[in-house]
Order: sequence, then C-alpha cells, then structure tokens
Amino acid sequence: MGNGLAGTTLRINLKTSVVRRLPTDEALFRRWHGGRGITAKLIYDEVPREADPLGPENIFIMNAGVMSGAFIPAGSKVSFGSVSPLTNGHGDSNMGGHLGPALKFAGYDLVVFENIAPRPVYLVIDDERVELRDASKFWGMKSLECEKALKDELGEDFEVATIGPAGENGVLFSCITHDFGRQAGRTGQGAVMGSKRLKAICVRGSKSLRVHDLPELRKQVTEIMLRTRKHPNMEPWQKYGTAFFIRWSNDNAVLPTYNFQTTHYEDTDKIDGDQLVTKLLVTHKACFGCWMNCGKYTKAVVPGKPAVYLEGPEYETGALCGANLGMKDIHHVAYINWLLDNLGMDSMSGGGVVAFGMECYERGLITEADLEGHALRWGEVDDVEHFLDMIAHRRGIGDWFAGGTKRAAQKIGKGSEKFAMQVKGQEMSGYDGRWAPGMLLSYMTADIGAHHNRSWTITVDMAEGRERIAGRAKIVIYLQHIRPLFDTWCICRLFWGELDITPEEIVESLNHITGWGVGVDECLRTSEMIWNLNRCHYLERNRANGRTFDYPPARSWEDKIPSGPGKGKGLTREQIEEMLDDYYDERGWDRRGNPTRALLEDLGLGDAADNLEKIGLLGEPLPGGIPKVRGEKYKPKAF
Amino acid sequence: MVIYLKAGSELRLKLNPDVDFYTRRVETEEGKTLREILKDIRLAPAFVAFAYSEGRIFSLDRAPRDGQSITLQPPVSGG
Ligand code: SF4
Repeated sequence: MGNGLAGTTLRINLKTSVVRRLPTDEALFRRWHGGRGITAKLIYDEVPREADPLGPENIFIMNAGVMSGAFIPAGSKVSFGSVSPLTNGHGDSNMGGHLGPALKFAGYDLVVFENIAPRPVYLVIDDERVELRDASKFWGMKSLECEKALKDELGEDFEVATIGPAGENGVLFSCITHDFGRQAGRTGQGAVMGSKRLKAICVRGSKSLRVHDLPELRKQVTEIMLRTRKHPNMEPWQKYGTAFFIRWSNDNAVLPTYNFQTTHYEDTDKIDGDQLVTKLLVTHKACFGCWMNCGKYTKAVVPGKPAVYLEGPEYETGALCGANLGMKDIHHVAYINWLLDNLGMDSMSGGGVVAFGMECYERGLITEADLEGHALRWGEVDDVEHFLDMIAHRRGIGDWFAGGTKRAAQKIGKGSEKFAMQVKGQEMSGYDGRWAPGMLLSYMTADIGAHHNRSWTITVDMAEGRERIAGRAKIVIYLQHIRPLFDTWCICRLFWGELDITPEEIVESLNHITGWGVGVDECLRTSEMIWNLNRCHYLERNRANGRTFDYPPARSWEDKIPSGPGKGKGLTREQIEEMLDDYYDERGWDRRGNPTRALLEDLGLGDAADNLEKIGLLGEPLPGGIPKVRGEKYKPKAF
Repeated sequence: MVIYLKAGSELRLKLNPDVDFYTRRVETEEGKTLREILKDIRLAPAFVAFAYSEGRIFSLDRAPRDGQSITLQPPVSGG
C-alpha cells in the first residue's frame, strides 16, 4: 500500500555537486501536506533570518506534494519555494504542465538545492540517474529557446523547466518556465534559481505511483469525470479559458487600466478573449490529468517582427499587459506576453512594472535620456520591447526596475511610491481593489505580497455591497486558508472553482491517496498554520510590526476611480485602517498586526512565538482571547 | 415562450434551478433580451461573465428564441 509519496528526497549541494538521497520524511508531509507547506517549514527552519535571498544560505525547493501525479482531476502542479528576493519573506509559486508528475514518476518527492554552483549547471533526473551537468552552452539562452534546446539534446520525453536571462541577471520578479508556456511566476523563484547558477531542471520518470486505496480512488474519480463532462461550464471553459473575463472586468470596473489609474478601458473590444480565440488561437492545451484544457496555444504576428508562438495570454496577463499598458491590439498583448516568457519574467509583475514605468514617463519622471534614447508610451509595443530588454539585462535604469515597482519607486522618488502598485514588493494582480474592498484587503494581507490567488473576492464584494467593508475580513481569511490548500496539495484549483467539485470530495481523494483520514477542517487548520508561520517568518526577517507592511500604495485611497461605471468610487484611508483592524481581530493577531502567543500555541507554533518574543514582535494578548474560529465561508444568497 | 438557463458554481445558487441540478425553466416574452430576462428573474447580469449557447458566445443583448438553452458562465479568478 502506498501513500502518494514516491519515497526519496534529494538534497543537492550545488557548490560541491554532492547529491544526497534520503528517505522522504513522511511526518513532514503529513504535518505540512506538501507544496507551499513544505517550503514554509523548511525555509523557516533552515535559512538564517539575515541571509540574502540571492545568497548561498537561501535554499531552493521543488516538490510535487502528495496529490500531483495521482489519478485525480488535474493533479498536475509542481511547487517551487525559497525566501523571496522580491518580498524578503516566504516565497512560493507553482505551475501546471507535466513536471510535477514526472518528478514523482522518477521516484522523488522533494528536491532541496543548497548553496551556489561555481559555474552554470542544469539538473538531469532520469529515474535513478541524478546528475548536475555543465550548462555553459545554455547560459544566456532565453527560456523557451533553452527548453527546446534541452529537449533536442535529452529527448522529447523529458519535462524541462528553465530560466531566462532575467533569472540569470537577478531580476527580482523572474519566473520559471515549463512546457513552452506554463510559468511559476510569482515571488521571484526564477531569480533564486539564477542566483544558484541553476539554468534548468530536466526530469524523466517511468515508475508508477502507489496510493493508499486505488479501487476507491478509481471509483470516486470516474464518477467525478463522468459528472464534470456534463457540467455546463465545461464546454465554454474548454473553448475560451480565462481570457474572456477581461470584458466582464471592464464592465464591472475592476480592470486595471493605465497603471491602475482607472478601471475602464475604452479599447477592451480589441484585447478581450473573443479577439484571442478568433485571431490568435492555434490549439487548446491541457496539463497532466486535466480534461478542462484552459491553456490556449496561440500565434502572435506583429508587423516587422518574427511570428511567435506562446501559451496565452490568459486573464491576468491580458489585463496587466493589455489595458494596463494601453495596448490596442491582441497581437501586441500576446507579443509582450511572449517577450516576458522568453526573457523569463513574471508576466503579472512584468505588466505592473512596465505600466509603472509608463506612468513615470508620462509624468516626466524618466525620460528618453534614461531609456537609451527610446520612449515609453502607452500602447507602443516597440517601447515595451526595448524597456524589457533593459530590465532583463539590468542596463541603465533597467537595473532599478529589475527590483520591481517598489524598489524602482524608491530610486525615482518624487512621489512615485503613490502609484507603485504593489504590496510587500510584489505587484498587484489584474483587479483594481478601489471598488472591491475585499479584494484590496486580500492584496494587503497576502503572505507573499499582492496576489489574487490567495483570496479572490470580487463577486463577494459585488454581492455584499461594494462600498461595504463590514464582514469582509472573515471571508478573506477563509479564502486565504482554502485557496492555498490547492498549492499545498499541488493540484489545480479550477475544478473546485469552476466545476463544483467540493472541498469534501477533494479531501476524500486526498485520503484515498494518502490514507491520512483527515477532514476538511483539519486541512483548513493546516493551511492556517502555514499562513501564520509565514507571517512570523516575515516579521522575523523584516523586524517591524506586521501592520507596517500591510498597506497598499496611496493611490488606493487618495485617487477615486476617474471614469467608467466605477467613476467617483474609492476607499478612504480610514476604511483601510478599519479593514486591517477587523482582519487582525479575526485572525487572533494584535492591532499591530502581530500574531499572539495564544494563537501560535493553538496552532502548534510555540517555537515561532518564542522567536517573535525574543525580537519584541509577539502580539499583545487579546482582551477577550483569540477567536475560536478564524475565517468564515461565504454563503451566497439565493435570489 | 420558454427558455432554459443553466449555471454551475456559485451562480447556480443564484439561478435557483428547477429542471435539473443546473437548469431553470424560464417563461418569458418573445423579443426580450437575455439581459432583460435576467433582470426579470432577479439575477444581476453583473454575476454573469458571459453567456454561451450552441457552441458560441451569446450576447446578453440578444433575444433568445423559444426553447433555447443558454449557459451562464460565472466570473472566476485568472490562473
Ligand atoms: S484547468 Fe487549466 S491550469 Fe488547471 S490543470 Fe487544467 S489546463 Fe492546467
């Protein structure tokens, strides 16, 4: 009988090239579940608090949890993690495709990279064979080209993850690319890989994965498969993926436009999902074990440039590299998406950074003299291409922007911090939160900096009242526990969100795979434990009260939405303070945003409480004690 | 005339299906747009990302025909 684990952990010292094979610590997976949970625990225990995220003491972690590779819907993800150079706190990011399952099929659950290689290397895992190889001929290659070159060299059946020049050059929002278009984009994991001189990871596996109760798992998944095939969302989803929500975002005043200046884009018709499907689509694409195939493989043609193939743009990239940059042609949006993928930069942060640069240019804070004689105008694809090249190679002021909007604003000054649209150093996702208070609170409090995947509340904001903030904190907290669970299990969240697979069903699969016999509540508690450990870690590394770090840029309260259906809408600074107070109360933190001992001990994190106490950042005891239940599931009303 | 509206996820709860798990039968007048029909059944069009029928997008500003089956797609977060 198995438990969803492949059995072996690799510890690879890149400096000495020593590869250690260890039996996988089952207790570690049982307590932290995998994915981002494993990262949270290992970096908390192993990385010194003062260590440079791009230095030798940071560790870089790859794991596929306990569900990836199993016979379940979309068990496709692989998780990467380390201390993030972008946020200086816990960082994790995951991607679909086939790499996670391949790792398990090769016999490995977890790979921990330590130290820094003396010269560029890439890792080859081919079942028992684990080798670091010289990557000098691949160093300097762009991500997609490198993936192709490695497949040519090793064989098409290797699953390959690469970084591009941005990762090599320490651009802090660098991503990891796989399957010619899947990215682990957020928190700068590509920069950490580059700092270790690890150009690529190539995996081929031929073993099968043993699970606890295969007959029951097969029965359950077959039923889910038959049921979801008939689900009304299946066909439209397969056909259009996520890009179709751009028009909806625009109609509902949440579409970031011109660097989040407004939420209404007059040229939405030129960049929305309809344009993608009719003008760009080559074929549909799916990750391992997925029958939803949301991936859209496309071809972009911009006059005067070579035709390019890519996966996307999906919603986030379409929004942040489309309306947010003032692009008026879907081919241009796709071309920018391809540039970012190939240079190896997160297309969400990348869109945010370029938009910030464009607003700085519009305001005269940077000029052609800073841009090697080029302009940086809204809607100009050539300007974007040149600027991205400056960033990826850290030329001139490209070096400032390579640190993301927060660091660039610190260099530029002159009030630009107000419109550097980030929290904790990470750029906001593709939703403006000024008329969606739960969404803004989600960005403010996310453990990895502004990111929608931790909690997405737009429809809750709409249903409950977009000016209303009362009660929002509880729902944000619940979502911050349930959504990241998918990133610990290393499975795709979209079957839950789109096809009505319930958390209970997913946990039933988890139990069939692992034999753990857990319930949803226990899983939510694990997620809460991870969340709080990450908060402690952030405070320990950044040495100030948590509240200090939880504010969005001042545009979020100083500027009302100037146009479109949201015209005149916005939050006040007082409302933002009130939301934070509510959030901390509901979490069992003090009003400074610091976790309390009672809460940490309740979650089994007494050591973290001791560590916070030593540096004077432990939360004050709460007069009424900590709430018994933290977070509340949103119950939509029937009409 | 009668049309059939289908929805899954949270939107299903707002639709109040009565035919099967996902489907609601709606009696309406010929010529009314889908947007107007949604308002009549007190389902705010803002909760519909797009509508889909017979293999293609169905504009909220079009009038369905008698017996037409239309899927209402809820907004979800990007990947
Ligand atoms: S729904 Fe999309 S992202 Fe999720 S597993 Fe399927 S193809 Fe991959």
